[in-house]
Amino acid sequence: MSTANRAIKAKPEALPDFLSEDLNNSKVVRLSGVDSNSMQHLAPGEALTLASLPAGEISVPLEFWLENKEELLNREARVALQLAGKEQAEDIVEQLNDIDMVVLTFVNFVDGRSYSDAYKLRTRLGFSGEIRAVGDVHFDQLGFLARVGVDAFELSDDEDHEYALKAFKEFSEVYQPSADGKPLIFSRRRVVH
Amino acid sequence: MYQYDAIDKTIVSERVSQFRDQVRRHLAGELSAAELQPLRLRNGLYMQIHAHMLRVSIPYGLLNSAQMRTLAHIARKYDRGYGHFTTRQNIQYNWPELADVPDILEDLSEVEMHAMQTSGNCIRNISSDQYAGVATDEIIDPRPYCEIIRQWSTLHPEFYWLPRKFKIAVTGATTDRAAVQFHDIGLEVVKSAAGEIGFKVYVGGGLGRTPVVGKVIKEFLPRDDILSYCESILRVYNLHGRRDNKYKARIKILVNAMGIDAFREQVEADWAHFKDGELKLHDTDFETMKAFFPQPAYEDLEDGDVRIDQWLQLDTKFADWYHNNTVEHRQPGYRIVNVSLKEHGVAPGDATDEQMDAIADIAEDYSFGEIRVTHEQNLVLSDVRQQDLLEVWKALDAARLATANIGSVNDMICCPGLDFCSLANATSIPIAKQINETFNDFQELYDIGEVKIKMSGCMNACGHHHVGHIGILGVDKKGEEWYQLTVGGDASNAAELGTRMGPAIAKDNVGKAVRDILDVYRDSREGEERLLDTFRRVGIEPFKERVYAEENS
Repeated sequence: MSTANRAIKAKPEALPDFLSEDLNNSKVVRLSGVDSNSMQHLAPGEALTLASLPAGEISVPLEFWLENKEELLNREARVALQLAGKEQAEDIVEQLNDIDMVVLTFVNFVDGRSYSDAYKLRTRLGFSGEIRAVGDVHFDQLGFLARVGVDAFELSDDEDHEYALKAFKEFSEVYQPSADGKPLIFSRRRVVH
Repeated sequence: MYQYDAIDKTIVSERVSQFRDQVRRHLAGELSAAELQPLRLRNGLYMQIHAHMLRVSIPYGLLNSAQMRTLAHIARKYDRGYGHFTTRQNIQYNWPELADVPDILEDLSEVEMHAMQTSGNCIRNISSDQYAGVATDEIIDPRPYCEIIRQWSTLHPEFYWLPRKFKIAVTGATTDRAAVQFHDIGLEVVKSAAGEIGFKVYVGGGLGRTPVVGKVIKEFLPRDDILSYCESILRVYNLHGRRDNKYKARIKILVNAMGIDAFREQVEADWAHFKDGELKLHDTDFETMKAFFPQPAYEDLEDGDVRIDQWLQLDTKFADWYHNNTVEHRQPGYRIVNVSLKEHGVAPGDATDEQMDAIADIAEDYSFGEIRVTHEQNLVLSDVRQQDLLEVWKALDAARLATANIGSVNDMICCPGLDFCSLANATSIPIAKQINETFNDFQELYDIGEVKIKMSGCMNACGHHHVGHIGILGVDKKGEEWYQLTVGGDASNAAELGTRMGPAIAKDNVGKAVRDILDVYRDSREGEERLLDTFRRVGIEPFKERVYAEENS
């Protein structure tokens, strides 16, 4: 195989998935319905400092959290932790006792890394708090995001949030297990046969 | 073959409704063209140069007559009366209207077919051996395993937005006709010394811009674990595969960058978490699935029907067809019949609606109503009684489907090229035509013997040019079409990439260059050597000298 497997000088890099600007959507879609939202998701950058934090519920990037954990834990309002596509679910294992919500930040909806992070948070890392998808999140992603363990979704304010609830009902059957605990299709058929 | 139960039917029908709603929202202006693009791709719908193109899934290349008739109906009602069978054993239509596509999918669903995951960055159709279940060298029928993997991979929520497309192939025979070493995951059935069935698992093979032979990630994976192990490979790839450059996003790049050992370590670490969990398959799962692929109700016959000898002597056209297009069957009294989609003057792999209907009828009358699609863009009637061969030949010939050129220079693999495809740099179909016109003497074709010519109109390599005995790659040089030739590629067990001849060749000279290569072969071959064998013995130089002789003189 002399000509095969020629050396490939490539590093397995993927694009970062950090928010480029703060997000402030007025609604959040849950499996059960549409709620109002007051949480602000703060983008990383020089402008983000303890002094600049807005009042009320916020989510912050992992790096900022690690640098300012003590102060953030002392805030009265809820603080959630962002997990970017580039970061791994394993990176936040030691934080999970201090938070009740992980925010997956989608910069581009075709980037599916966060699906595996959500799956791991639910099935291996024992996280039972809220997992929320924000950023480039649309109707057509919601069904599968829900299956891998995401339970709250912020769509931009110009989308039809009530219609979005339909996304959870598009499929009444599935072939494989995921974080939703559905059985493998073949184990269901075992019962029949 | 596999038959849907209520669950399969529900899923396919709900997928049609989902897609119908996506198209509706797009036509109503709620979903932009850019937003629709990745959604329509995941249902096989591309936007090409002239029109949309719909790729319909044919799982591991297996069809029944009713399904073939539906494919003919779609060609007739929604397209221009033909379809194109592809190198991944699927079919594509070149001219559907977007607004019609939901109806096409609904028609398909009525015969248990769909277009799910035939495109887009997700797990694609599972491909396999076109002779599955009938090959003389088969260890295990791969089709039950293919179907199990197909179901697990369909609408998998975690692996729907991968860095790039992902292709899985399975072979169960000693001769690999499924090119498993050129797939993202290749599964080769192995029986352990103790008789246990498992798979040798290859990962990170592929063609495209960076052709790579797959590496062995696991020598023996027990069959119970195929789903969980594939899932771990997919998970490591989903998390770590490159997403910044689509040309470096396939798993082969990740595996090469990490090294197979480091990659394996990650996969095994992930696998350890859940290998004995819900994805573990039970013996009953295999038994249940195997029951869908029973041996056909063969009659108790014997080989060596004297009528065949008579027919062979009486009709040289029948004899040519018999020797080139039919293959030994493991059941006495039966033969495998290849249906050539390589008639001269027709784009390789194309079939008209009438031809599809004819094949459906012939299959029903003579081959238990089943048809297979090969990755070499032909069809197969897998179980024909030897005593029926004359009738089958006549019926195929009447539908212009009996061109006796399987495995020959004429039997080219060819992508749609610049005539249809928006990625292409050069045309392929006219080159196929040129080569056919250069070799229009069938006796000469038979003398040359087995030559696999594979042609792609761009470096994305849909025509598998890297693994052609002769590979032809179209390139664009300042707006002109030129063609880069390779010799000695091989997609089978001795997987090998072709060796480059030299500078690209002008469009009008490709047929002549192929003739030069084959002249060198005929001059230098020893005994029963094929082109590939002669090349392995003499190397590239003699071929080079002849092809570039005129330019150098």
